Amino acid sequence: MKKIAFINKLLLMALIAVFVAGGTGCASKKKLARQQEAERMEKINAAKAELLAIINDDGTMSLEEKERVLEKVKAQDIDDEEVSALIRQVELLLSAEKEELRRAKEEYQRAEEERLRKEKELFEHKMRFQILENHFNAIVRADEVATANVEIEEALGLFENNDVPVLIIINREADIVDYDKPTTIKKYLEFLKDQKKNLNAIENVKYNDNGKITELELIKK
Amino acid sequence: MKNLKISLITLFMIALGTSVVAQPDITPTRKAAIDSLALEKVRDLSKYISIVGNKETPWSEANRVIDRTEELFAEGAQMGVSTIYSDEVKYYGIRGYMERLMALNYDKVTISWYNIQYISDLELQPDGRYVGVITIFQRFEGRTGDNLIYKDTTKKDITVYVERKHTQISGRLIGFWDVLLGDIRVTETKP
Repeated sequence: MKKIAFINKLLLMALIAVFVAGGTGCASKKKLARQQEAERMEKINAAKAELLAIINDDGTMSLEEKERVLEKVKAQDIDDEEVSALIRQVELLLSAEKEELRRAKEEYQRAEEERLRKEKELFEHKMRFQILENHFNAIVRADEVATANVEIEEALGLFENNDVPVLIIINREADIVDYDKPTTIKKYLEFLKDQKKNLNAIENVKYNDNGKITELELIKK
Repeated sequence: MKNLKISLITLFMIALGTSVVAQPDITPTRKAAIDSLALEKVRDLSKYISIVGNKETPWSEANRVIDRTEELFAEGAQMGVSTIYSDEVKYYGIRGYMERLMALNYDKVTISWYNIQYISDLELQPDGRYVGVITIFQRFEGRTGDNLIYKDTTKKDITVYVERKHTQISGRLIGFWDVLLGDIRVTETKP
C-alpha cells in the first residue's frame, strides 16, 4: 500500500515537472518570436532607409551604387508592402535616370560629332585659305612679270571665273561694314603683281558646288 | 511782303535740308579708315607711274597698268607736268600723261614718290562727298646709258574725292567708299 502511495507521489512529481518544463518552453518560443519580429522590423527599417536614401539622393550617389543598393534590398526578399512600394518607386526612378543618362550620352555624342565635323570643316577652310594666301604671296614676291603671270593663272583656276567679286573690308564697326570699291579676282591678282604688297587677309570665301570660289572677302591687315 | 516771307522760309528750309545732308554721320574710326584708303590709292598711283615709266616694263603690261591708272581718277582729271627749264606747267589727261611717260626718250626712267601726306583733310561737302588734298614729292631721273640726262623733284597736290556708294553683290547690299583722284597740280619744281 505504501508502495502504491509512493508511486503516486512520484507520478504527481513527474507530472508537475512536465508542467513546469512545458511552461518554460512556451515562454522561450514567445521570446524567440519577439526576437525574430524585432529583427524583421530592423531589416524593414534598414531597407526603407536605404531605399529612401536613393529616392532622396541629391546627386551624391552614382547610378551603379543605387543599383547595387536596390539589388541588395531585393535579395533580402522582405515581405512588407511599404518596402515593396519603395522598391517599385526606386526601380522607376532608376529606369528614368538610366534613360536620362542614355539621352545625355547620345546628346554628347551628337555634339561631339558636330564639333569634330565643324573642326574638320574649319581646317579644310583654313587649308583652302592657306592655298589662296600662298598664291597671293607668290604673286607679290615674283621677281619677273612672267613668273607672276603663271601664279595668277594658277590662282585663277581656283575661281569660278575671272570676274568673281572681291570685297575688301576697310573698317568694321558694330553692324556697319565699310568696303573699298569692289573689284574682280583678275584685277585683284594683277593689283598684287603691280603693287608688290599684300595688305589684306582672307576674311571669307564662298564656293559653288564644284568647289570653285564664287566670292572672296578680304580685310585690311 | 507775304511772298518775301514765304521765299525766306523756303530758302531757310532748303538750307536746313542741305545741312542735314552734310551732317557727318561717321565715327572717327570710320573717318580714319577712309583717310587711310585715300592715301593708299595715291600710293597705288605712285607704283603705277613707276611701272609705266620703267623702260623694262613690257608694252602690254604698261598698257594694262595705264587702264588701271585711269580707273583711279575722276573723269576729266588732269596731270600737271613741269620741267626745271621752264615756269610753264602743262596739263594732260591721265591716259595722255601715262602714254607720254611710256614714250619718254631715255634708256632708263626712275620715278619715286615720297612724303605722301594730307595737306587738307578730307572734309564733308554739301553734296555728301568728302574732299581733301594730298601732297606728294616726286623724284624723276632720266638716264641714257650711264649718263644722268635729266632729274628734278616736284611737289604735287592731288585732290581726292571720297563718296559713299552702294552696290549689290550676290544679292547683298554692299556699302563701299569710292575714292577718286582729281587733278594733280604742280606746286614746286626743283633740280
